[in-house]
Amino acid sequence: MPSMKLATMTSAFALSIFSLMATQASADATLDRIKGRGALTVGVILSGAPFGYIDPKTQEQKGFNIDIAKALAEDLGVKLETVTVTPPNRVQFLQQGKVDLLIANMQYTEDRAKVLDYVPTAYDRAGGAAVVRKDSGLKDWADLKGKPVCVSQGSNYTQPLIEEYGAVVKALPSQPESLLALQGGNCVAAVHVGATVGLLLEDRPEDWKDYAIPFPTELIPSDSVIWLRKGEKDTQTALDNSVKKLHASGKLLEFAKSNRLLNTKFLEEQQKALSASK
Amino acid sequence: MQDMNLSDLFVSLTSRIGLNYEFLATGYESQIWRDGFVTTLYLVALLIPVSLIFGLLFAACLTSGKLWLSSPVRGFVELTRNTPTLVQLMFSFLVLNTFVSNLVGGAQNNPLTPFFWVVAVVGLHIAALHAEAIRAGIEAVPASTIEAARGIGFSQFQILRYVEVPLAFRASLPAIVNNLINLVKLTTVGNAIAVSEITYASIMVWTQRDNVVSLMIAILLFFSIINLIVARIGLWVERKLAVPGYGI
Repeated sequence: MPSMKLATMTSAFALSIFSLMATQASADATLDRIKGRGALTVGVILSGAPFGYIDPKTQEQKGFNIDIAKALAEDLGVKLETVTVTPPNRVQFLQQGKVDLLIANMQYTEDRAKVLDYVPTAYDRAGGAAVVRKDSGLKDWADLKGKPVCVSQGSNYTQPLIEEYGAVVKALPSQPESLLALQGGNCVAAVHVGATVGLLLEDRPEDWKDYAIPFPTELIPSDSVIWLRKGEKDTQTALDNSVKKLHASGKLLEFAKSNRLLNTKFLEEQQKALSASK
Repeated sequence: MQDMNLSDLFVSLTSRIGLNYEFLATGYESQIWRDGFVTTLYLVALLIPVSLIFGLLFAACLTSGKLWLSSPVRGFVELTRNTPTLVQLMFSFLVLNTFVSNLVGGAQNNPLTPFFWVVAVVGLHIAALHAEAIRAGIEAVPASTIEAARGIGFSQFQILRYVEVPLAFRASLPAIVNNLINLVKLTTVGNAIAVSEITYASIMVWTQRDNVVSLMIAILLFFSIINLIVARIGLWVERKLAVPGYGI
């Protein structure tokens, strides 16, 4: 009798795992579903300007990522729905079908490309910048060796910080907590997407007057791409065309400027390249 | 070498049923993950005595009958029982800790680590729950028993030490074991302030490798095993301490 019970339990457990796996692999016809529903569901991160934030006055979502999402929905001829995600949960939202795609500050990495598909044309290029105290004497990434460094959970700066620079990484739930931990002196540096922290220091000079971004280079500058569930070739092709169009028409550059992205070199190059090839 | 082969074997066997433990073959991620198990066990081993000692202390204050002793403790118990532990932890680490840093003249002089704050916040939170359980036990000691103790010349402290606490502890043991099981699970809030216990370690791995299911299974099994052991030990102590004929 007990062995019987164990067998039932084991199979129930296996079944539940299997069904979890199945949800990850199914739902290939995303493009049909988007058109059928007349709505595109995009997972966005609202961790602060310029990429995504809530306007305190109008309570509307704004930012570079939101603008791109709106333009993509427009191009597909459907309306936009956004879902707020965070770095630790964004991939699950995508895999479980809660969102159709992610425009969530996710750079291309080989590990990610193993489990997810992405739109080949990047919409931006971003690297990490370190916010440190002005009196800390830190000059370059190598100075972080053996020192506590705050990042947000899910940050792709974790690995290079540990493996290349030997830093002691403390990952907090999101960027605001990480920056608070920096101000509280729990780490010597907070490493986040360059454009976000650059704008923060510019916009709130009072709160951040003792801090600077002194390192001359960005950490692993890599392509920000739109992420999709594995195997969704139709959606991928449709979105790739849309992103190319947005580059060529100069709209992405326009979004970048209106949202005050500090470094638009990559977008300018892309616009030139893509509008020339037309 | 033997160890290496074993983990390789584990990775290839689990990959056949669709689970991804590939990170075990890498450097820093497998290190973080293994350390995560150790940190969680260390937290549990430290928190159980801390919570019990403070719980007893709080209960003694609550039932002392002296207002200057009982009212501050009552206030603390209410505050910590009625607010979420995660919020307490974030507040302690991001606000109180910064305040302490300013007091001692800079963060470099502040000896309080995130680990300390987890032990303090979770330990005192569970201590408050213990205190209520023990208080219920103390109040369940029959008045006639205490009267008898007073009759043979016991002081207030002696009554607490030799009569009330031994009986109250037995009566409140099931509730205390319940609290301890809760405590084991509460250690996971540490991930919010980068204490590298097992959920933090797993988040670090799965945000890069997206093998959530594989790691969740490991976490769930790990906590089930710890709590099974805690509950078994609790039951054993309960049986060992049972007073024949007293009913508890």
